[in-house]
Amino acid sequence: MAEGNGEKLVIKVDPDLAGLIPGFIQGRHDDIRELKIAVEKGDMDTARILGHNMKGSGGGYGFNGITEIGGALEKAAKDGNKEEIVRLIGELSGYLGRIEIVY
Amino acid sequence: MGILIVDDSKDSRELLGRLLKNAGYRDVIGEASADDAFATLGLSTDGDLEEHGGRFDLILMDVIMPGIDGIEACRRIRGDTHLQDIPIVMVTALDEEGTLQLAFAAGAVDYVTKPINKTELLARVSSVLQLKYERDRRKSREKELLEALGQLRHANEILRRLSAIDGLTGLANRRNFDEFIEREWRRAVRDKKPISIIMMDIDHFKAYNDHYGHQGGDDCLKKVASVIAETVKRPADLASRYGGEEFVVVLPETEIKGAAELAERLRMEVEAMGNPHEHSSASKVVTISVGVASLIPERGMAHSELVELADKALYAAKRDGRNRVQVA
Repeated sequence: MAEGNGEKLVIKVDPDLAGLIPGFIQGRHDDIRELKIAVEKGDMDTARILGHNMKGSGGGYGFNGITEIGGALEKAAKDGNKEEIVRLIGELSGYLGRIEIVY
Repeated sequence: MGILIVDDSKDSRELLGRLLKNAGYRDVIGEASADDAFATLGLSTDGDLEEHGGRFDLILMDVIMPGIDGIEACRRIRGDTHLQDIPIVMVTALDEEGTLQLAFAAGAVDYVTKPINKTELLARVSSVLQLKYERDRRKSREKELLEALGQLRHANEILRRLSAIDGLTGLANRRNFDEFIEREWRRAVRDKKPISIIMMDIDHFKAYNDHYGHQGGDDCLKKVASVIAETVKRPADLASRYGGEEFVVVLPETEIKGAAELAERLRMEVEAMGNPHEHSSASKVVTISVGVASLIPERGMAHSELVELADKALYAAKRDGRNRVQVA
């Protein structure tokens, strides 16, 4: 799933959280960058923690997709499966490109 | 109403903080690690509790954190005497259920699952806080009750002492004498030991009262009582006001000789007081007549027999001219 590919994904977010959303989305772009570095270095620990935190926070903000991808990342990092991590980075990037947030 | 969030994920801290603040919880603090949380709570420091843990009513604790994890952090906080009353709610993904058991064993009271569901979070937080306030209220009520109980005990002790003391003279009162002689009598029977009593009566006290007035009479009683209290020094003995102008001293484990000596000393001391008494046939000053009796009581005898003996001796002392000691 490549960035910008596919239909828009409308995400309904709790208006209480509106102020936090830009920071949260930016945080995931930062995660993508860090994940890429981690994969290059073979740093599975960082990849696991990033995945774990995405898994824990995504759905709370309304982004269930991020929780799912985070969970998969955590598992792939535990398994030391770099290819899967690379695939999931792409999936996350695509997800971020497709979402449209409504409050 | 402080809430401390401990979570290494900035996104989770911000999310929890925002949801709680929007729900009206104003004092919400986030810490990124167990160590930072310990510092904020003042764990294991002797600092003022109000400055540290005292401001928090709830801790939301992430389970999986780098360094000290949420379970160990929970255990340490619950192990601190100043912090152990702060309820800890674990924040955990559902697939971490195995760790939940450990968390409860470490002292957590509840948990919320990640990803956070606002309704669930606020319901749990509200019910845990409710419980905390109830418990705090109960604790402070228990404290008040304990204080009241202490005051009551103190008041009872004063009352007990007052009820045993003659208000005018400060000597033991008649009731105290009755209880004391009953107890000592039984002990003397059991131990086959002598017990003595000294009965005293102020000579011509009615005439004294008539002449010097009731206030003067009361003052005289107080002076004589104070001489008796000073002269009867052995802690085992009891000097009491028997009634009117009569006094009695009970001397456990005392033979007649010792009792007679003390009686004579009492008589002398009262006389030596030199308190004028213009209407006494015995002396120009206040004096007492004294009757002494002693017994080694046997089973079946009543202590009233001893009192009667002393009373008769006192009567004899009066008959023989007053201001003297008569031994039964």
